[in-house]
Amino acid sequence: MRVEYINPFVESAYNVLKEVLNCQVSRGELYLKSTSTPVLGVAALVGLAGDVEGRILFDMSKDTAIKVASVMNGEELKELDDLAKATITELANMITAQAVTKLHDLGFKFDLTPPAIFTGDNMEVTTAEVEALIVPMVIPYGKVEINVAIRERL
Amino acid sequence: MSNTIEKTVLMDQEKLPVKQIKQDFKMVTFSLGGKDYGIDIMKVKEIAKFSQFTYVPNTPPFVRGVYNLRGEIISIIDLRIFFHLPVEKRKDGVENGLILRLEDYIIGVIVDSIDKVVGIDSEDIQPPHPIFGDINVKYISGVVEYNGTLYLILDVEKLFGKEQTVQKPHPLEALELSLAEKPSIGVTPKESVTVGHTEKDFIRETLKTFKSFHVTPVNEKWLDERFEQWRAERGKQGRDLQIKSVDEADEFLRTFYSSYTDAVWPDEFAESFLELIQELSGRVFSVWNPGCGKGYETYSVTALFLNKFPDAVLKVWAMDNDLLSISTAPNLLLQLENLPTYLLPYTVKGKQGIGITSQLKDRIFFEYHDILHVNVVPECDLILARDLVSFLSPADQAKVLEEFYDKLKPNGILILGNNEEPIEMAKWVRISNKNFSAYRKNIE
Repeated sequence: MRVEYINPFVESAYNVLKEVLNCQVSRGELYLKSTSTPVLGVAALVGLAGDVEGRILFDMSKDTAIKVASVMNGEELKELDDLAKATITELANMITAQAVTKLHDLGFKFDLTPPAIFTGDNMEVTTAEVEALIVPMVIPYGKVEINVAIRERL
Repeated sequence: MSNTIEKTVLMDQEKLPVKQIKQDFKMVTFSLGGKDYGIDIMKVKEIAKFSQFTYVPNTPPFVRGVYNLRGEIISIIDLRIFFHLPVEKRKDGVENGLILRLEDYIIGVIVDSIDKVVGIDSEDIQPPHPIFGDINVKYISGVVEYNGTLYLILDVEKLFGKEQTVQKPHPLEALELSLAEKPSIGVTPKESVTVGHTEKDFIRETLKTFKSFHVTPVNEKWLDERFEQWRAERGKQGRDLQIKSVDEADEFLRTFYSSYTDAVWPDEFAESFLELIQELSGRVFSVWNPGCGKGYETYSVTALFLNKFPDAVLKVWAMDNDLLSISTAPNLLLQLENLPTYLLPYTVKGKQGIGITSQLKDRIFFEYHDILHVNVVPECDLILARDLVSFLSPADQAKVLEEFYDKLKPNGILILGNNEEPIEMAKWVRISNKNFSAYRKNIE
């Protein structure tokens, strides 16, 4: 993972979470993971293609996802319904968009795919040939892991 | 799912009391230099207070004297002096001790204080770990936890038994003793060799534990030399051979590290690098620099390459798994007053220090990366990995060296740390010079 890519994601995740949830956000230690990564329960995936290619995964437990969606909507949600899913999608969009803007300013050019949401138990994700950077963000509702696996086209 | 979990919890609870009832090993516990130890109660004849022993001249310092135990004369060993632990002087002159019944004779030992007798399950005893520090691991038969305290169980037969006579108890002393007696014939010199071996093994273990430095054919030559040197150094200072802390491990490794891994290369050092890359040719060059740290080495190499091949297309992949170091690399500021001449064209003076121009920076990809994960780099002309391989586990060392071989172009060059060499030398041609340990890929 190029050093230049790391900060935009860390910063934008911090800023966006803090802004939309209006709560204390703290960042855990960053670390690297190779190939397959277990998914906590709800994962929003955004793909990248261009000078830089790969994907970004926003991963959290179902419980955290419902709570986050409740706060963002300003109403108590009971389950992970369409509204909750749409809200998590939007969160992923906001964080990615802000990070990507920063990367564009640094001169990297690429396109994004719309986020897709995956839910279920015992899932894992594998990205061949790219190691993933894990940015754990801790919020009062649980943990959101941002899993970034991108690299420049060789 | 939840049912099974409850069930296992229940089973554990049922098991617990049963476990505590089983006590097939009893030991007398005592303290030495603030740590807790135990001795098998079967070896302990009695607990005693020694007050007046008779000093015997010409004995090692740990022999405090002989003692009259109801008519039987026994020798008294001070375990604290024996293990080089601090000795508290007692005002009344009364020492706590144990009288041990060994296979052949009875012996008294002095300890700081006697604690109690505890019964444990012998299955709970775990093998000793090499870094228990104060006491050489071979005198410890195991470790056990009882009521939250860890007890090291001393093997008294090994300590005082027939094999290891009292004359030669501590490995270091034994070593010095046997070294002094070298010209004499018989068993002694042979023993000194084996003792040296265990000491070396011990150092291997501690280097692994404290610094994750793994001794393998990659760095064995250096270790052998360093061990002799270390023995001389420590002997002169009257210190123990063993490594007991991270600081001491650092001290041991001091001569291992290569020069200028974390600094800009000075001109004369750069000269000998240029000698190495003399034979490289072509128009497209790729360089891989795993373990680049803050990037000083990377910038030096990149500048040297650019000077030598001004028209070439050059790309450098520099990686480190230390996030803090690698994060500072892309915007590294130099504080050097006299920059080496080869680097001057690529520097620009800023407010905070001397920066690197984009002409140089644009050639380098700094990546936060773990070399044990998939390495996505093209075929390389040069791989610069100084003092990196030795800090991987033996299996990973072999794997990474194999990968270096695969990733090099024919005639590509691998530079390892000054005290490192590849495991399979047949695959490489040594082209080292005075400042670099370098190898060319052997394609035959």
